Order: sequence, then C-alpha cells, then structure tokens
Amino acid sequence: MIQAVETNHDAGDVATAAGHGAGATSRTIHVRVLRQDAPGQESYWERHAIPYEPNMNVISILQRIAATARAEDGRSVAPVAWDCNCLEEVCGSCTMLVNGRTRMACTALVDRLLEDNSEEIELRPMSKFPVVRDLVVDRRRVFRGLERVEAWVPVDGSYDHGPGPRISPEDQEDAYPLSTCMSCGCCLEACPQYTKIEVVQREGESAEAFDARRKAAFDRGFVGAHAISQAMLFNAHPTGRMIADERLAALTGEGGIQMCGNAQNCVAVCPKHIPLTRSIARAGRAATVWAIKKLFDR
Amino acid sequence: MNQPEPSRSFLSRHQFLIYRLFSLSGLIPVGAFLVVHLLTNASVLGGPESFQSRVDMIHSLGPLLVPIEIAFIFLPMLFHAAVGFAIIAGGLPNVGSYPYVGNVRYTLQRATGMIAFAFIIGHLIQLHWLGAPLRGSEGGFDPHHATSTAAIAIRPLLVSILYAIGVLSTVFHFSNGLWTLGITWGLWTSPAAMRRANWVSIAVGVVLAAAGLGAIGGLRTVDVAKARGVEDRMDEVKRMLKGEMPIEEGRSPAVRGTSNSSLPNAGPVSSEGT
Repeated sequence: MIQAVETNHDAGDVATAAGHGAGATSRTIHVRVLRQDAPGQESYWERHAIPYEPNMNVISILQRIAATARAEDGRSVAPVAWDCNCLEEVCGSCTMLVNGRTRMACTALVDRLLEDNSEEIELRPMSKFPVVRDLVVDRRRVFRGLERVEAWVPVDGSYDHGPGPRISPEDQEDAYPLSTCMSCGCCLEACPQYTKIEVVQREGESAEAFDARRKAAFDRGFVGAHAISQAMLFNAHPTGRMIADERLAALTGEGGIQMCGNAQNCVAVCPKHIPLTRSIARAGRAATVWAIKKLFDR
Repeated sequence: MNQPEPSRSFLSRHQFLIYRLFSLSGLIPVGAFLVVHLLTNASVLGGPESFQSRVDMIHSLGPLLVPIEIAFIFLPMLFHAAVGFAIIAGGLPNVGSYPYVGNVRYTLQRATGMIAFAFIIGHLIQLHWLGAPLRGSEGGFDPHHATSTAAIAIRPLLVSILYAIGVLSTVFHFSNGLWTLGITWGLWTSPAAMRRANWVSIAVGVVLAAAGLGAIGGLRTVDVAKARGVEDRMDEVKRMLKGEMPIEEGRSPAVRGTSNSSLPNAGPVSSEGT
C-alpha cells in the first residue's frame, strides 16, 4: 500500500521532470530477476520491462515491478520480494547481486548501471545464503558470526560500573571505521573462502533441535571478515578487551581466522570502505601471539 | 536432547594449528629449499665446474643426505601439498565476478600450487633417485655428472618449456605465498605495509625467476661433451682424494686438458689415505 502511494508520488515527480527534461523519450529498462518461490525450490529467470525515469535506484525499480506485477511478456506474476529498510546504505538489509556483483540495492543507481550496460540490469539473490524468496535471503549466519566472536562490550549487570576508561582520539579514529559495519554481508558474498551453508529442517525435527543443528553447522564454517573485524574492534575497546581471550579462542577455533585465503575481495566490495584486511592481519597477529602464549603459559 | 553432538574430528579441533603449520612449511623448510635449489642450479651459468662443486658440497653430507631429504624436504612438501589441496577443495574461486588484483592472485596461488605439485612429481620421476624405478635405467641425475646429465634431460624443447612453466609457477607460488604468509601471521597489517611487503615479494620472485630460467638457459647452452670431461676429471680427483683410486702420475684423464696440474696437489692427502 505504502509502496503504491510512493510510486504515485514518484510518478508525479517524474512526469514534471520529463515535461521539461531534454530528450524525454520513453526509454524502457529491461530487468532480469532470478526468482525462487520458496526455500529449496528451483530458481528461474523472469524479465521485466519498466519505463525509464531519471535518478532511479534498484529499489525503485523493484517498486515499479511490484506496482505492475507483470512480466515483460505481459503475464501477471507475483511481485518480486526483496529486503530493504533505510534506503541510505546504513542498515545493510538490501544486499543483492546487481549485474553479478554484491552491493546494496539502495545505492545501486540505475543511471550508473545503464552506463555500464544499457541493455539490461540483472538482479540475483546473494549466493552464499539460503534463499527465502526471490531476492530475500536468510542471513542469520552473518549474525551467528558476530555471536561466535562475542562482538559486544560486556557491561550487563545490575549495578553501576561507573564511567568507562577514556579512549584516546587516536584510538577512536582507528576504531570508528570498524564501527560503521552494518552486517550487510557483502564481504561474505564476495569471499571465495566463505561458502554457502544451507541446513534443511528434517521431518519431525523440533524448532529447537533444528536451530541447534543449524548453529552447529554455521560454527564449523568460516566466521567471515565482518566478524573478524568486529572482534578486533571490541578487542581494542578498553572495556570490550576484558573478554579478548574469548574472542581469540573463537577466532582460532574451527572456521576461524585461518580460513582466510587473502583474496582481499572483502575490502574491495565493502560499501563502508572498512579496512577489513587490516583487521584480518591484526587478528592474525593477535592469534599468533595468543597461540604462543597459550602454548607456554599452559 | 536428541541434539546431535557435532562430530569434531582431530583435524577440525586443530584446524588453526594445521593451517599455521601449513603456512610455515611453505617458507621453512620447503621455500628455503626452493631458494637454495634454484640458486644452486643457477650456478651452472658459471660453468660446469661451479655447478659440480656446489652439487659435491650438497653430496658431501654422504649418508645423511637421504634422511635429511626425507625429513626436511619430502615430508614437509607432502604435508604442504595435502593441506593445500584440502584448502583448494574448500574454496570457491570467483575471479569472473570479482576480477580484483588480490582475487586474481588468490586464484593464481591455487593454480600455481597445483601446477607446482604436478611439476615436482614429474621432476622427481625424471631426475631424482626416487623416480629411478619409474623411469627405468635410462636418464636421471648423476650427482657426479651434474651438468651433463641435467642438460641431457632438459635439452628437448618440450621439456625445457615444461620446466620453464613449472619453475615460474613454483616461484610465483612461493613469492606470492611469502606476501600472504606475512598477513596470515600478522607481520604486515596496514595497507601501506602490505604494499611495501608486496614489493619485497615481487623482488624475491623476480630474482628467483631469473635464477630458475637462467639455470634452464644455462643447461640448454652448455657443451655437454665438454661438461662431461670436466665432471670426469673432477670425479677422478675426488676418488683419488678418497683413496678409491691410485694416483697415476702422468695418467691422461678422460678428456685432454690441463687438469693434470691438480693431481700433484692431491698427492699428499691421498698418500695419507693409503
């Protein structure tokens, strides 16, 4: 409903823009979407044609597709499902493969995409996470990764701990870029070492048992660049450092830092330009020191 | 309750240690051996004498040589290869979608690792004593005739080309691996430090590639008959020094030459032996 209202708004704006826009020919944008109706089902390609408007992004394309709910051949189809929220590249929910590369749909500007390929825009769900429907994927492994490395400052308690230690401006500057991570999963999608783990609920399996089995499967897999970077962020924090050893134990456990293959795609695709490879190298150094300490202090 | 206990094998419990040993083994001893091996081979550019004397130095280890080879070269290499193949199997290269330099290097690191493995197997079958049962009595590397036997083996154009590919793959794998090893162990952490380290690893790669290709070129251009003569004379001297062969004053060595001058010097040492 809200989408329809927005669409009308946009259409109004565009009509005005097109009115005095130069060369306001009615161009058509061809969009190819890899769809999947439900988890575990076959995926299929579907083509859509929508009228060009200036200043569109991939989200507005998906809104137009939802508004018409028709494929290019005129068939009436279910609207394409997708995830989005903030529309300003801070929430991390609209990650998808646009023209084969992982990125946020909200900042994938159609005019830029058409410069690269005027024929067609291709949309696919992320390939490293189980598809829920169409472009919506189940990214809970991203958050399980953060749980594994305890990516938080442990300050829970019933009494006042007083003010925390001061952090120097230098340390703040070092930490700030890492804190901008929005768990979008781009680093994981582009990582050749991070491979898909899809666990299917067995017949008669309780939700709890299924969840435990899925978590165990996630915990054997690579934890991922985002979690390594968050572990370094909180290990650098004066209060977060109190459980530094637990984070390093997780990072040197199965699926930890050692799974990194140094392809450095993570840092290349990160929409927030987080120095992920610096975090990974720092984690490598911390793991080296920690492993040696563990060996001799035991 | 019916929660399945995740089967944690020995390998998965010690994954970190195994991967770190894998990383280390690429440098020490396998990488260190590669450097020594390529530089030794490049000495053929200084003539058959210089190559032969370096080979003699290695073989002066005598009965220790084989255990050292097995413990410090073959077993670490096998370990590195086994873990390496497991790592390759676990990855999903995507250089088509993400053609970044780092990703190309990631893919090449795996490709060259596999090429290097195949090349080393072929190299051992062709030249090493390990491969003797597989290649029959013909060919092989004779440590007493280092230059001539290696030159005969490598002379055919196809063999030379395969050796060039094998050597370049191995050198890339080593020097790129040097760079990633520094990240893995946390030696260089900032992007600027990684760039600097990258130049060092490129320099190492260029030097080793020059040494490796130089050795191939040297073996292709050396005069085999002449080299054989030099080796025979050197072999004779060695045997005389060991007392395996009496010193015959004025005995003409296998090939005409001026090397008789070295025989009188050998005299006193030899007489001690007899």
